Amino acid sequence: MKIQKIIGAGAIGLASIVAAYAHGGATGIVKERMEAMGTMSDVVKALSAMMRGETAYNADAVRDGAETIRRHAGEALTGLFPEGSGGEPSEAKAEVWSNWDEFSALAAQLETLSEGLGLAADNGLMSGSGGQAQGGMMGGGTGMMGSANTMMGGTAPMMGRGGSFDAAVLAAMPADGVFNMIAQSCSACHTKFRLEKN
Amino acid sequence: MRRIAKLGALAAVLAAAGAASLHAWPIGRPVALESIAGDAARGAYLARMSGCIACHTNAENGGAPLAGGVKLPTDFGTFHSPNLTTDTVNGIGGWSIQEFSKAVRQGVSPDGEPYYPAFPYPFYSRFSDQDIADLWAAFRTVPAVAEAAPEQELRFPFSFRPALKAWRAMFLDTGPLEPREDKSEAWNRGRFIVRGPAHCGACHTPRNLLGARQAEFALHGAEGLPDGGKSPPITKAKLEERGWTVSNLAYALRSGITPGGDVFGGSMGEVVRDGTSFLSDDDLRAIAIYLLDKDGPNEP
Repeated sequence: MKIQKIIGAGAIGLASIVAAYAHGGATGIVKERMEAMGTMSDVVKALSAMMRGETAYNADAVRDGAETIRRHAGEALTGLFPEGSGGEPSEAKAEVWSNWDEFSALAAQLETLSEGLGLAADNGLMSGSGGQAQGGMMGGGTGMMGSANTMMGGTAPMMGRGGSFDAAVLAAMPADGVFNMIAQSCSACHTKFRLEKN
Repeated sequence: MRRIAKLGALAAVLAAAGAASLHAWPIGRPVALESIAGDAARGAYLARMSGCIACHTNAENGGAPLAGGVKLPTDFGTFHSPNLTTDTVNGIGGWSIQEFSKAVRQGVSPDGEPYYPAFPYPFYSRFSDQDIADLWAAFRTVPAVAEAAPEQELRFPFSFRPALKAWRAMFLDTGPLEPREDKSEAWNRGRFIVRGPAHCGACHTPRNLLGARQAEFALHGAEGLPDGGKSPPITKAKLEERGWTVSNLAYALRSGITPGGDVFGGSMGEVVRDGTSFLSDDDLRAIAIYLLDKDGPNEP
């Protein structure tokens, strides 16, 4: 009994050391936001397996995951980036604060998209059969190569920076379509505002 | 003193002669592309794969597609991507397909000037004649934009463009890849994409002090990229160590989502957004198969 407790405590201690190391020794608000990002990342990991058809689609899990992201998006997200909280060990670029409007627009976009994903959860996947549905909204395959217009297309319409989405419209989309839009939103923000340290 | 002055003068004369002969040194080979019918849709797909649209469209500032003007800050100075629209004055509207081919595959301008390798033409040298005809057909559909891209701002000595001819002689290794008969079609396709149009090595292979890629460290990852970031190694060993498989790598190139649930940022976010997310499932799989094969990027 006792030994298990000790091992358990040791494991927890070790886990927190590992976590601290993974976050580059961050403390305070920087650590808090890294953990919030980690929470969203866990959701993305679990849901992406479902969206690709690697694990069985589960509408409840999609709804729960979407809600977790929603709670960490919008002002909950921007509130974790007070002025002056950049620099080592944070991975936030100075642009977060010099371009606050765009940063907060992306955070708000994530909130709307995750709300939309929750509403779209019951719609299931685009093809209804897992694997084939991947990347539908990302302009994969023949869709974008179908015409020479591609040369004039600029960036995909879904990537509109700080664009406004209507949760009601999203609610009518296949879940994997909305999920891919969430990933694009994450990527747009990381591309602009996150330092790549690898 | 006089002797030193003489030596100095001699050196100056030699340098001038060197510079003059570099000026006069003709580079590039003639190409014959007559009568190949180009498929604009296929060309547009190749242009996506090659990053033409990403690098030559100033989306950030609302620039028109392929009108150029994207800044690329490097150790050698700041590059500005040129206008590739059909405008005859500011773009490439007045070019012939031969000139286009020479520019893309050999890195030589219609005036015979060498391009800086910020333009990844060494990768594009893998294009077949058919690829070039298709690309050209696609570029002919781009609406003209009468807007001059800014001049390149290179620091001396890099601003001396003819010196690039010496660079080419030292470092350039171009030409199509001979298909490997002992490998699958997907593997050969993946090799073409990775080592050709998608120019993965432009960011994932470290460069020497003169900006040439170090072949022995192909795809080992690099620091000091134009955006100030780092690129991770994408060799088989490192990819596997970090949990990548053919399936999740192809998925990441489509969606930006990594096996750990992170989503790409930095230049890779742009690469996915403007490039790989548009590729076919087969092509994404081919890239992953090649990168994760034991005879992949480390082949001789």
